[in-house]
Amino acid sequence: MVSSEEQIVGIIVIALGIVILMSAAIIAFFYFSRKKIIKTELEKASMEIEHQKEVIQSTLITQEEERKRIAQDLHDAISSKLNVVSLNANFLTEADISSQDTNTIGKQILSITSTILESSRKIAHDLLPPTFEKFGLKAALEELCDEVGETKKFQIRCDLPYAEGFLPPEKELHVFRIVQELFNNAIKHSEATVLQLTVKTEQNRLSLQYKDDGKGFDPDTKTLVKGIGMSGITNRVAILNGTLSVDSRPGDGVQLTIKIER
Amino acid sequence: MKELFDILGDITIYLSVIYPLFYILGFSKNNKTYKIFTLYLIAIALVQISLRLHKYVYPNEPNLYLFVYYFVSQFIFLSLFYYELLQHKWILFIGGLTLLFIGVQYIITPDMYFRYNPIGATITQVLLVFYSLLYFYRSLSEKKEFIIVNVGVFFYLLSSILIFASGNLVLDDTIPIYIPSLLQDINISLYLIFQLLIMLEWWKNYADRTIIKFKK
Repeated sequence: MVSSEEQIVGIIVIALGIVILMSAAIIAFFYFSRKKIIKTELEKASMEIEHQKEVIQSTLITQEEERKRIAQDLHDAISSKLNVVSLNANFLTEADISSQDTNTIGKQILSITSTILESSRKIAHDLLPPTFEKFGLKAALEELCDEVGETKKFQIRCDLPYAEGFLPPEKELHVFRIVQELFNNAIKHSEATVLQLTVKTEQNRLSLQYKDDGKGFDPDTKTLVKGIGMSGITNRVAILNGTLSVDSRPGDGVQLTIKIER
Repeated sequence: MKELFDILGDITIYLSVIYPLFYILGFSKNNKTYKIFTLYLIAIALVQISLRLHKYVYPNEPNLYLFVYYFVSQFIFLSLFYYELLQHKWILFIGGLTLLFIGVQYIITPDMYFRYNPIGATITQVLLVFYSLLYFYRSLSEKKEFIIVNVGVFFYLLSSILIFASGNLVLDDTIPIYIPSLLQDINISLYLIFQLLIMLEWWKNYADRTIIKFKK
């Protein structure tokens, strides 16, 4: 027979052992959960950093492309023509030149300089349309629509019930750039015949809808979506804290909706 | 075996005097939480020293009246400590209520002073264990200070609830003497682990700052 004292001792020792084990288990549980949580958080953070890197990279590439384009424009439209002007001006300095020649050369210089002026205005306009600065987003978009319409490449329908001043100017500029990029893509790649753009504001939300009937693309093939133009749009939407949904299939046009909360 | 635990018991007493000294070295350099914890260590060291003195001066008289100072000072300082860590106002409120309850206990039954107070000790220890559990939860997602001490508090206070709750067995003549002494030995071992964790906390997180201060 086991004496009652031994039983008491046994019970106490077992109870103590269980409590000690339990406390060790709880500590271990917290320790390992903590490790796991910290690990997932680290992974999340490194993913975010990776994403930011991608954004920066595509921004840099866009910037470089943009510089290249400006350099090209300046070279084609201004430098080369100024060369002609300077050549002609050189003729004028020669002593044995008839007044008739002077007249012709003068006229030529005049006509070239006015084209240069026109070109430089156009370059500046492409960089930042003065309409945007002076009259705001709605006017700038209307102008953009008109300009794209004038190319006669396609029919364009713009519906712009945008409440002026809905977004602060720096955000409006992003919206403008997005539309510019959409039109650029349409001109370059879409082969569309009809473009439709709606920018409207309702209470606290701006919604931008774009639709074309061009050749479209497969949103799953990342190369197209990640192309410079599209990634520029994605980045700007991200900056605006907006949502972007693209609906497109090869041969079936593009439908794109952006929603931005104020 | 008995001797081994006597030695361990001595070690816990020496340690409880030594490590507050380490903590005091960094007292002015660290935050309020650290200061409160240092005060807790000093209070416990004082109780330990009194226990030892009592043993030398009155070897044959019970020293159980010192126990109340041990668990009450532990409760007060660790409650403040967890209040600083968790920043919940209700910790102070509950602390006040508990102290009131213990006070009433001793007023109603004054002879409680000369034996263990299992209810008081259990309530205070359970509350502190609960705070340390909350603090574990809080420290899940970020790095927090005093996490090693928290492990120690949780481990020792939870494990020793049963020991202190059955502490009055020592006064029961029908129970053979080896039972309370076994409990005491277990307590000493657990307490030594707690002390080592407190020392580890200082060594890992506060030693650098203190040593740098001395090199300057």
